[in-house]
Amino acid sequence: MVTRLYLSNDTSARAAGAAALAEAWSDRADVQLIRTSSRGAFYLEPMVERDGPDGRIAWFNVSPQDLPAILSGTGGTAVHTIPFLAQQVRYTFANFGETEPLSLDEYQARGGLSGLEAAFRLTPDAIIEELRVSQLRGRGGAAFPVWNKWKVAQQAKGAQKYVVANSDEGDAGTYCDRMILEGDSFRLLEGMLICARAIGAGRGYVYCRQEYPAASATLRAAIHKADEAELLELNGEPFPIEVIEGAGSYVCGEETALLESLEGKRGVVRARPPYPAQSGLYGCPTIVSNVLTFATIPQILSRGGSWHASLGTEQSRGTIVLQLGGRVKHPGLVEVPFGLSLHQVLEQFGGGMAPGSRFKAVQVGGPLGSLFPTTGLELPICYDAFAKAGAVLGHGGIVVYDHETDMVDLARHFMAFTADESCGKCTPCRIGSVRGREILERIQAGSGTMDDLRLLDDLGETMKLASLCALGGRAPYPVLTAIEHFPAEFRSKLRA
Amino acid sequence: MHEQVKNILNQVRGEPPNILQSLLALQGELGHVSADMVPVIAKSLGVTTAEVAGVLSYYPDLRPSAPGRHVIRVCMGESCYANGCGRVLRELQERLRADIHETMPGGRFTLDTMSCAGNCAVSPTVIIDDDLYGRVLPSQLDGMLERYR
Ligand SMILES: Cc1cc2nc3c(=O)[nH]c(=O)nc-3n(C[C@H](O)[C@H](O)[C@H](O)COP(=O)(O)O)c2cc1C
Ligand code: SF4
Ligand code: FES
Repeated sequence: MVTRLYLSNDTSARAAGAAALAEAWSDRADVQLIRTSSRGAFYLEPMVERDGPDGRIAWFNVSPQDLPAILSGTGGTAVHTIPFLAQQVRYTFANFGETEPLSLDEYQARGGLSGLEAAFRLTPDAIIEELRVSQLRGRGGAAFPVWNKWKVAQQAKGAQKYVVANSDEGDAGTYCDRMILEGDSFRLLEGMLICARAIGAGRGYVYCRQEYPAASATLRAAIHKADEAELLELNGEPFPIEVIEGAGSYVCGEETALLESLEGKRGVVRARPPYPAQSGLYGCPTIVSNVLTFATIPQILSRGGSWHASLGTEQSRGTIVLQLGGRVKHPGLVEVPFGLSLHQVLEQFGGGMAPGSRFKAVQVGGPLGSLFPTTGLELPICYDAFAKAGAVLGHGGIVVYDHETDMVDLARHFMAFTADESCGKCTPCRIGSVRGREILERIQAGSGTMDDLRLLDDLGETMKLASLCALGGRAPYPVLTAIEHFPAEFRSKLRA
Repeated sequence: MHEQVKNILNQVRGEPPNILQSLLALQGELGHVSADMVPVIAKSLGVTTAEVAGVLSYYPDLRPSAPGRHVIRVCMGESCYANGCGRVLRELQERLRADIHETMPGGRFTLDTMSCAGNCAVSPTVIIDDDLYGRVLPSQLDGMLERYR
């Protein structure tokens, strides 16, 4: 008898051991391995599943010698009873762990392409109206209303218009775009096609970070399949989508730098206005949006904008996709409606701290995000509450630091990152980040003074106010919040 | 060298010419793009040498010199930072007697850092050539390095 087993082919699942399992079982005649996307419960990977009477049954942290138990059906857990997954509200990530990433049939069987079909029944204006009703805001970091951007691009005149998916996913601690590309690429393509129809675009690009080879390979294969199925067409014209890889620059995730890089130039930030929706790639109207934003759109069209607006909080509608990392016990992907507190997320989903670790601080929103100590955890996860606290949700990355973290070194790490990644276009960021790094190196070496801390504060305020883009403008936040919440650590390193 | 560079560039030619993608294609074939190739590249693409040199120096992934036989990249992103990538990097620096961006004596490994591989939930992350390793412990490094001669 041949037993069908499901095993994720996601990069992180492979790294956790799925690749080794597949190799160990490759010559088993009694096993049929189906390589799926990952559910995102990475602390349980490698996870092996088989069909049960009531949905899938899973075995966790599997090693090759666990095969007999799996085949005899002993010791598994029903997937729908895993609290980490059961407490989530999955829409954009509903397929994850279920389907084979490159099966268009499975994608369609689970509701895929119904958003595009709905869009074909609507006029471009009606599509944009649906997005206005949905109150969807961009998921790449700036949280700008999606419909508004589309309206501008729709009304702008241009010989050509472009749709560009931003898959640079530069914020360390985030991986949901990678998971979408590796696990459900068709959803991204569907979102891009809907956008192209709404604004009247004739070409699409996906700018993918070079660090994601499996993601770009899977996406290319998905594009090929979609093309074969004659899906990459609008109004009887081809709508080609091409994958372009970056070359390791963080600031190339910023939309105007990304466009420069797509054109093959140095990825330097352009002054705005004009915004890309008015004048973007090669001077033509261009929608640059995040992968997760595009992947959210098909269901808004198929379920309706008001469905989306019914989820979440006043200013933050829909679900947020959080990515837990660092020293939490349960690192992984969490999709929930906006509004839970940080504390709830860290406890309910994060499962508290990794063994042997005590909580020190959590950073939300990537390398430009603020740090929160224990006393900051009641903050609800939504755009307005974070904005009020001077913080950002960014791309949904949540990294937990434990008691062993040296806050001075961490602050130095952040400033060094900015100094390395600054595009050099404006002085506050180009010079400020280098000075900031030098000051923090001085403090770390034990030769800093109280004046240095004051200088850092001044420098930070200047960068916040005078930088051209959010790299320089946000870079001071993790550093200054580290000093604010852990002042003793900084003072104890100062020269007497 | 000139002929080889021109041949590779001919395969990726587009209109208008894309300098970055041309350099990436060259690096894909040759392993690196050195400064002395710049004039040929510029001529072949019909752009200025300053434009080519500007792009070449801007992107961290473009290598001006040939790397060792194997390239190790240690992720320095925040999730990896929280999970001890600093120790992993220090141990590698000692074992390989190479600093960041350096090639060890004998040319077996080049040591590099990167900022996030999207493997944050299974971190810290080390990538050797095309192989990604997660949850890396310093004690596993010797065994990992053994696989690359
Ligand atoms: C330094 C910097 C890096 C950025 N990196 C990314 C990125 O990796 N991915 C992304 O989608 N947006 C990134 N952004 C935001 C983009 O500029 C832009 O707002 C976004 O792609 C728009 O998509 P959205 O409307 O779907 O959010 C970055 C912004 C800055 C200032
Ligand atoms: S803030 Fe930094 S990255 Fe942004 S434009 Fe200025 S120099 Fe470039
Ligand atoms: S922070 Fe290292 S893989 Fe993301």
